[in-house]
Amino acid sequence: MNVAVLKTKAEQALSESFASAAAALPGSAEIRRLRLDAMSRFGALGLPTRRVEAWKYTDLRNALKDALPAPPTKAPKARPADVEAALGPLAAVEAHRVVFIDGQYAPDLSALVADGTVTVASLATLLDSDASAAELLDASAHDDDAVLALNIAYAGDGAVVDIAPLADLDRPVLLVFVRAAEEPSFAAVRNVVRVGEGALATVVEAHVTLPKAAKDFQLNTATKVIVGKGAKLAHLKCTLEAGGGTHLSNWLTELGPDADYRGFQLTAGTLLARNQIAVTFAGEGAAIDLSGAFLGRGAEHIDTTLVVDHAVPQCTSRELFKGVLEDRARGVFQGKVIVRPDAQKTDGKQMAQVLMLSPDCEFDSKPELEIYADDVVCGHGSTSADLDEDLVFYCRSRGIPEPEARALLIESFIGEALEKVEHDALRSALAELAHNWLRHAAPAGGDA
Amino acid sequence: MLEIKDLHVKLADEDREILKGLDLTIPKGEVHAIMGPNGSGKSTLAYVLAGREGYEVTAGDILWDGESILAMEPEERAAKGVFLAFQYPMEIPGVAGLTFLRTAVNAVRKARGLPELSTPDFMKFVKGKAERLNIDIDMLKRPVNVGFSGGEKKRAEILQMEVLEPTLCVLDETDSGLDIDALRIVSDGVNAMRSRDRAMLVITHYQRLLNHIVPDRVHVMVDGKIRKSGDASLAHELEKSGYAEYQAKAA
Repeated sequence: MNVAVLKTKAEQALSESFASAAAALPGSAEIRRLRLDAMSRFGALGLPTRRVEAWKYTDLRNALKDALPAPPTKAPKARPADVEAALGPLAAVEAHRVVFIDGQYAPDLSALVADGTVTVASLATLLDSDASAAELLDASAHDDDAVLALNIAYAGDGAVVDIAPLADLDRPVLLVFVRAAEEPSFAAVRNVVRVGEGALATVVEAHVTLPKAAKDFQLNTATKVIVGKGAKLAHLKCTLEAGGGTHLSNWLTELGPDADYRGFQLTAGTLLARNQIAVTFAGEGAAIDLSGAFLGRGAEHIDTTLVVDHAVPQCTSRELFKGVLEDRARGVFQGKVIVRPDAQKTDGKQMAQVLMLSPDCEFDSKPELEIYADDVVCGHGSTSADLDEDLVFYCRSRGIPEPEARALLIESFIGEALEKVEHDALRSALAELAHNWLRHAAPAGGDA
Repeated sequence: MLEIKDLHVKLADEDREILKGLDLTIPKGEVHAIMGPNGSGKSTLAYVLAGREGYEVTAGDILWDGESILAMEPEERAAKGVFLAFQYPMEIPGVAGLTFLRTAVNAVRKARGLPELSTPDFMKFVKGKAERLNIDIDMLKRPVNVGFSGGEKKRAEILQMEVLEPTLCVLDETDSGLDIDALRIVSDGVNAMRSRDRAMLVITHYQRLLNHIVPDRVHVMVDGKIRKSGDASLAHELEKSGYAEYQAKAA
C-alpha cells in the first residue's frame, strides 16, 4: 500500500523554518551542506513515533505539537548570581565553569583557566573558523536518528572540550546550560569532549533554568565523546530544567582500548525528557559504568535509552538506573546491549529499578540483549515496587515523621546509584538535589 | 502509667477479633511480662501500642500518662515516650545506622521541645551506650541491620531504645533468636534502663528471658485476654504446666 506520509504541524514547521534559520547558523559551505543533508534526512524520517522500536514508549511525533522558534538573538542578561542560584548545590563544586545562555556561549559568565591540560572552545567559533570543523557535527554512525539529524541541522553552539594526553584535571569541567528566554523557544546544542590518551577528567553538563524563563521550551542537545587509549572520563549530566518543556539528549561515546568511562545522569523536573546514550567499544579492554537516577512527578515522562555496542573483545559494561515515580509520571528504560561475534569475553550487567509511589504512574522497561558471541557473561534485571510500608512504620515508630521517613527510604533507594559518582563534592551536590526534589523544593534553586 | 481498658482489636480488613477486652495497668517504675502461646494476640498488642496500621480498635482505650494515644500517629507516640523493640528488627539498605539513629533522636528531641544534637554531641551520646551493648561503632556505619546476625539486630534494637530515652518500653519476643551470651547482653541493657520514671512491658513465649529480666508482675494472655496475673513465680509455674488449662478455659 502506498500512503502519502502526512507531516505533522511540528515536522512541517521544523522543515520550513530551517531555510531562514540556516543563514544565522555558524559554519562554512561544507558545514551548510552537512546541515542540509541532515535536514533532508529528517524530512525523510519525520519525528519518531511509537512504531519505531527505539521510540516505542515515547511517541515524540505525538508529544511534539509544534516547533518553537529560536530564542531572541540577544539573549536575556543573566548575572553571575543568577547562574549561581540556578545551579543550587552544584554551584559549590569547584570547577572550570563554562556557561551557555539559551544555547549561546556566554564568555563573561565563564571562568576557564588555560593551563595546558584542558581547552574549551565555543562550537560556533570553531565552525566558522576551523577548516576541519565538519567532524564536530559528524554522527554518521547514527544516520537513522531523526533527533540527531535535527541536532546537526540546527546546532547553534556548544562546548568543544579537549583534554590533553596524560592530563590529570584537578577539578571537573562544568558546562552550564541556562534556560533564560522568557518566550517559549527552541535551542540545539552540540558538544564535543575529546579525552587524550591516558588523561583523567570529569565533565559535567548541567541544564538549569532561571526563575523567569518561559515554562515551555525545546532543547535538542548532543554530546560526542571520544575517550582515548587508557584514558578515564567521568561524564555527568544533571537535567533540572523545571518546566513544561521537552529535553532531547544524545550522548555518543566512543572508547579507545583500555579506556574507562563512567556516565551518570540525574533527571528531575522536565515534562518530557529523552536521554539516549550510545556507547561503542572501539578498542579492547575498555570498561563503562553507566548509571543514573530519574525522578518524575505530575505528568512528567522520563525516558532513558541505552545502546551499548560491544564491537571488540574483552570489554566490560555495567548499567544501574534508579527511578522514582509519583502522580502520573511515566518512566521508560530501554537498555540494548549488542555483543558482536568477535566480542568474546564480554562482561555485561544491567539493572533498572523503580519505586512507583502512585497507582497512576507507569514504568516501561525493555532490556534487549543481542549476543552473537559465545564466550560472554551478560545479565540484566528490572524491578518496580512501592515503598515497603513495614519499613515506613519502623522509621515512624522511632519518631521519624512520615514524610521524612518516606523521603529517607527513597533517598536510600536512589543512593545506590549515586554511590557510582566517585567525585565527592559532585556526589554530595547530586544527593542534595535529590533530597530537595523529594521534599518538593526546587532541586536547584529558582521556583519549580 | 499505662492503662489499657477493655481493648477490642480486629484486623482492619478481616472481621476476626484478636484482642477481646484486654485490661492491663502498668505503673511507672514497674516491669510487667506478658506470656502466652502463639496466636494469643501478644504481638498484636505490641503493634497496637506502637500505632501500626492494619488494626482497628473497635472498643476500649489505651491511656499513657492519662492521655489516650489511640488517635496518635506512630511518630507522635514515639515523641510521647512509647518505644517498641521489634520481634524482627527491620533491615534498611542504604541508610547508615548512625544516620538513622541521629535522624530519629533529633526528630524525637524536636518533638519533645529539646534542641537537636550536633554530630559531635550525638557521637559522644551514642558511643558509650553502644560500647555497653558490645556494638562496634563501625557496625553502625553500615546500613541499618543489613547483614547483622539475630543477636546483633536485637542489640541494635536495644541501642535504639536507649538513645530514644522512652518512658514506655514494649519488648516483643526480644529473646527469640538469641544465644545465651546475647541474651545476657540484651537483658543487662534492659535492666540498666529500669527506672522509676519508666514502665516496661516484656512480651515473651518462654520463661527463660524472665530469669534475666525479673518482672514485677506476670500476666498470662490467651485468646486475646489476660487470663491470670501474678508475681514472678507465675512464670515458673507456666514453664511447668504450660498454657493448656487457660486455653481450655478460653475455649
